Formats: sequence, C-alpha cells, structure tokens
Amino acid sequence: MRRVLTPFVLAAFAVIVFAPSKSLAIPAFSRQYQTSCSTCHLDFPKLNDFGKAFKDAGFKFPKDDQAFLKVPPVMLGAPAQKQMWPNVIWPGTIPGMPPIGLRMNNFFQASSTNANRFSQLQPAGTPPGTVGGFPFVPRTDFESGFFSIFTAGNFGSDIAFWVDDDISVSGDNSAGGLGDGYLKFVNLSRFLKLPDNAIALRAGRFELDLPFTQARSINISPYDIYSEANIGAMNSLIPMQQFVNNQFGLANVANGAEVSGGHLYGGYHYSVAVVNQNTSAISQSANTSMFFPSATGGANGGVGFASDANFKDIYSRFSYRINLERDSASRNAVQAAGATGPRDHTYINFGTFYYYGRSVQRLSGVLSNGTTPAVITGREPFYRLGGDFSFNYRTFNLFGLYMYGHDRNLLPIDAAGNLIVLPITSSSALPAGFLSARSATFDGGFVQADFLVHPWIMLIGRWDAVNSSADRINGLALAQNTSFPVPFHSMRNRYTPGVQFLIHANIKASFEYQIRPQQSVTFVTGAGGLPVALAPFRSNAATAALEFVY
Amino acid sequence: MKLAVAITIVSLAAFAHAGDLSGKTAASGGAAVVYVEKIAGKTFPAPAQHFSIDQRSLMFQPHVLVVPAGSTVDFVNSDTVAHNVFWPGVSGNRKLSHNLGTWPQGEKKSFTFDSPGVVTLLCNVHPEMSAYIVVSPTPYYAQADAGGNYAIHNIPDGNYTVTVWHEGGKPASKTVAVSGSTKLDL
Repeated sequence: MRRVLTPFVLAAFAVIVFAPSKSLAIPAFSRQYQTSCSTCHLDFPKLNDFGKAFKDAGFKFPKDDQAFLKVPPVMLGAPAQKQMWPNVIWPGTIPGMPPIGLRMNNFFQASSTNANRFSQLQPAGTPPGTVGGFPFVPRTDFESGFFSIFTAGNFGSDIAFWVDDDISVSGDNSAGGLGDGYLKFVNLSRFLKLPDNAIALRAGRFELDLPFTQARSINISPYDIYSEANIGAMNSLIPMQQFVNNQFGLANVANGAEVSGGHLYGGYHYSVAVVNQNTSAISQSANTSMFFPSATGGANGGVGFASDANFKDIYSRFSYRINLERDSASRNAVQAAGATGPRDHTYINFGTFYYYGRSVQRLSGVLSNGTTPAVITGREPFYRLGGDFSFNYRTFNLFGLYMYGHDRNLLPIDAAGNLIVLPITSSSALPAGFLSARSATFDGGFVQADFLVHPWIMLIGRWDAVNSSADRINGLALAQNTSFPVPFHSMRNRYTPGVQFLIHANIKASFEYQIRPQQSVTFVTGAGGLPVALAPFRSNAATAALEFVY
Repeated sequence: MKLAVAITIVSLAAFAHAGDLSGKTAASGGAAVVYVEKIAGKTFPAPAQHFSIDQRSLMFQPHVLVVPAGSTVDFVNSDTVAHNVFWPGVSGNRKLSHNLGTWPQGEKKSFTFDSPGVVTLLCNVHPEMSAYIVVSPTPYYAQADAGGNYAIHNIPDGNYTVTVWHEGGKPASKTVAVSGSTKLDL
C-alpha cells in the first residue's frame, strides 16, 4: 500500500501549487483546550462525531467542559451571584483568551485550452475583456483567496457565539464581508423540563441549517445546487416565457432566528428558521431611507435595511440518524468504541428540508385604466424542497442531496390584458398586472464520496447536476440569436474528483478537477440535415489550493 | 519463626552490601530517568504492585512513569470523552507496538511490560497527548527531580552500566563502580 501511495502522493504534491477554499476551522478552540484540530475535525473543516457534539453543546465539550479548559474563562460575576438575581446581572464568563482564529488561502487554476471559444457568442471582432465582451480566460492563473478572521466560543449559561468575516477577498482593495454572526442559546429545554438539547435558539446572521454545509465545506468549488438562483430569462424568441428574478440561493447567508434541537451525532435533529426576504439581493448598506431610520440610522452612516419585502421566509429541516453499532453503549455514545480506539459511528442519516418565500418584483406601470401611473408589484411565491442522505462506514462517507425548486411565474400584461413581449423595453406597453404562467422550476443535487485513506489524505469524488428551465432560456438569450443550444446539463453538470492533504493539522493542500460536458456555440447543418458543432470546447478546470488556519 | 529469622539475616546482609547511587543529570527540557542496565546473571521477580497512568483533561498523568520490567500498568480513563492508548513500539522496536483499544470513563485496561525500553504512549483521537513509560531492566532506578538530581537507593556494591533517559533526548550510558554511597553525574 505504501509503495502505491508514495508516488501517488508525490505526484499530487507536484501538481498542487496551492491554496484552499472558503472553509473554516477554529484554532481558538485548539488554544483554549490545548488540543489538536483533529479532535473535532476529520479533514478540516469537516467535523467528526465529536466535533458535531461539541457544536451541539454550544462550542463546549459535551460533558464536564471546565475540566478540559486549559485556559480558564474570565468570570463576569461570581457564580454565587445567581442567588441574588434579579437584583444583580446574571453572572457569565468570557473566554480566558481572545478566541480568534485566522485563515488564508490561495489558488492556482488551469483551464481548458479551448475555454475562450465561448467568446464566439459576442459580435465578430470584439476583443475579449472589452466593455460588453467576455473576459479572457487564461490557461493558468494564480489567484488570491480569502483572508478571514473568525471567533467563537461560549459565554457561560449555555450561550454560544460565532462571528466570521472575510477581511479581504481576491487580494488588493477587495473588501470581504461578514459571514455568520450569531448568538445561540443552547439547551433552553431545561427550563421547560424537556429532554436535554431539545430546544435551542439562534439569532443573528447565519447559514441555514443545510444538510451539508457550504460555508464550512471541504470542497474548493461550491455545490452547484446551493447557488442555483431562479432567474427566468426574458427572451422573445422562444415560447417558454419566464418572468422570475429570484436571486435566492439556498446557501445564502440569512438574517433571522432559528429554533433547533436534537443532535447531529445520533437520533433526531430539527430546525425551523424565520429569515429575511431579500430575493433581489440588494445589499444592506445600499438599502437606506432618507426619512426613516433603520436599526442605527442607515441614512446617517449606520446600517440599512436587509429585507426587500415585508414577507419573512421560513426554512425547516428534519433529519434522523441511526447509528449502526450493535453495542448499545457504543451506539449511543458521542463516538463509537472501535477495536483500536474511538471512531466515528457507522451510520445512516436521512433528512428533508423545505424553504418557502415570496419573491417580489416591482415594475413601473399603470393602473387598469391604462393611464394612471402605479407601481405594479408581482409577488411570486417560491419553495425549495429536498431530501438528503448520508452513510458513513469508518472513514468512508457517502452522502447526497436532491432539491426541487419551484417559483410561481407571473408574466406582465398591459391594461388591455395582453401579454407584454419580454424583455420589457422603453417601447413596451406599460404593465398593468400579471398573468400566471407555467412555473419556473429546476431540480438537481449532488452525490459525494469522501474517503479518508490516511488521517491526512482525503479522496473526494463528487457529481453535481442542476436541470433548470431558466438556465436553458438564459442560454438561448445569451446566444444573441445564434443557434447556441445550451443543453440542460451544459454548465451545471459535472464530475469533480479531488484529493486533499493535511500537511499539518492546520495546513491543507487541496486539488480538484471539474469535468464538464462538451459545448459548442456555433452549429452548422451537416449532411443529412443534422446539426454539426463547430469549435467545441469544455469549461473544465483544475484547481489547486493551499489553506492555513492559525 | 525460622522463616522470619532467615529473612532478617538475609536483609541485614543485603543492607550491609548495599549502597546509594546519586548525582545530577545534565538532561534538560524534560523529566529524566536514571536506571541500571541489565546485570549479567541476575534476574528480578516482577513486582506484584500495579502502576497506573490516568487519562484526565486530555492528558496522560503522570507524563513519565518508570517501572521495572515485568510490571503491570493500569490505564485509567477519567475523562468524559473517549480515549485510546497505543504505542508504536518499545525503544524503536515496532514489533512491540500495541493498541489497547477503547474503554469508557472510569474503567481501566492493564498491560504487563516485560521488555525493557522506552514506551511512548499515544492516543489516536487526541494527537497532542503523549506520555512515556520507561521500563527499567532492573529494580534500580530513579526519576530525577526538577533540578536534575537523582538518587537510587539500595544498590548492591558492584560494577554497573547506568543509563539516563529524558524526553526529547537519546539515552546515554556510563559505567560505574558502586561502593557504598557513590556519586555519578550523567
């Protein structure tokens, strides 16, 4: 085995030039507990069963946390002060050292030699990189990644906190942004005399309780289905008209509150979140009012509004994990008792999730009299529904997710009730209302297999697919009246093998190769009247990453 | 009665020919252990006493334990998290590697160390944890204090090879002729 691995490893290192994806691990916990990253992570930031229990407990050891803290917390009041409440502030703690972690990564990418053939979609003679043209795709490229700060811990009384922020993205003068920032009140069920950890409350800004996290994924490239927005094209050339402009992606960070319970390492887990509606993806800082202050006075240098509608969206998730060890003590423990040491359970996990919202479009139009100016508002309810599974055997993990997306599709009509030919231009009739049409839908998902060959080598195989009617229409629109037939699976159907190496527990070299179907933007009619693709190309990409956290 | 008299006589005789070996070790950076190497023609019975190493607060306690060959060590898990104990070999001999597996809080597993040498204890779920068991080939050993001072008592007079080991360093040996109270810096 070693003979096989050695040249393989050396070859992989030779190929990798460096730098990881947007993913987080928490060195602050390593410092506080003086324990390795691998106590909680398999291949950071992927959590092992103990890491899941640590997260469930509010970033604490599940039992007897104080005994493990090597840096004692600072008391914000003696515990005996609790006897004096409500005449005193309930005593809490802060971590004994600033629980700060930092992360940096860089990338190197190699693209297909014929990737620039996409530029044939623009008018002949248009140089790449010019205004309105397509950018030039280099064969190889070194890319700056993320420099991020993150901090997390527990304030005592089972109140956990998390904040992460990308200080800079993509190098010079490129500001990042806030990732998650929340407080989580863990184990509120104790006040109601319910089973431990049956109820927790999280409030602030957070990634939804996804079946498989995107923000803390080990993959270099994101899951395609998570970033799938439903933006129907406005193309008059085709009969399948769509008028949806829903920027929502399931992995988008959300502002709101969430109730959750159960455990991620065994048994049931649920969450229900109420979050802001912002399907137009307007930035918070840009959404201010001269006359009405937001939380801190958005018109005067404070924050703006994060919503673009009155409606609050709802996300819910339920999953159940069955640990398969025969011995009940081992089966119910945080980690299974393996023959040579504790290990992750052998388990099967099934889950489902549902998101409901209402996408809003506001148009400058007229009332039904055809003359009185009015804002015409179209509210297009949408939902995302899916299921997921995860099977784990020792260091092999196979998991997958399927999601169906559905947006109500309202086509604008004029005052006479006639459909307005899309896209709406200055010469179009003014909209006066909407007509419900065939919904804009998509579906897809991913299946991934992770195999930890050694504690420091992770092999990854992954398949992504998204079938979107909007994507197809958009492709036709992009073709600018050419015969570019974007196949349903053209851009969002890929196989991505990868490998990752932990150089140290906090340094990782990653590599992945995204293999996509062949495409062509130009077709001619060949013998027999069949279309023949000219200048076919692939948008394959090989990406290497090097990431370190400290 | 006869037996008691015999034991007393033997003990007094042994005491009459036994001495102390003491000195200072130059070892730095970790606890030092000094022991007398195997004595030709002499064997020693395994002690009935069990030694113990605890896993507590993600640490092996004590960090260094010295025992005579043939000793049994009880490994206790006092933590509320799962632990493991294994060693990749004894003094570099990988054939003597062993894995004790998993056991829950409050329980223990025992192992008898017959082969002299240095056993590096590790936990395969908490890679920062480590400890050492120095298995002395003779019952003549001592653990140096923080200042590097050691003292081995009741060594019969004679010529011996004495080895000093400390964490992070290689064992170093010297020969010494013990006669009564003898000084040897290592």
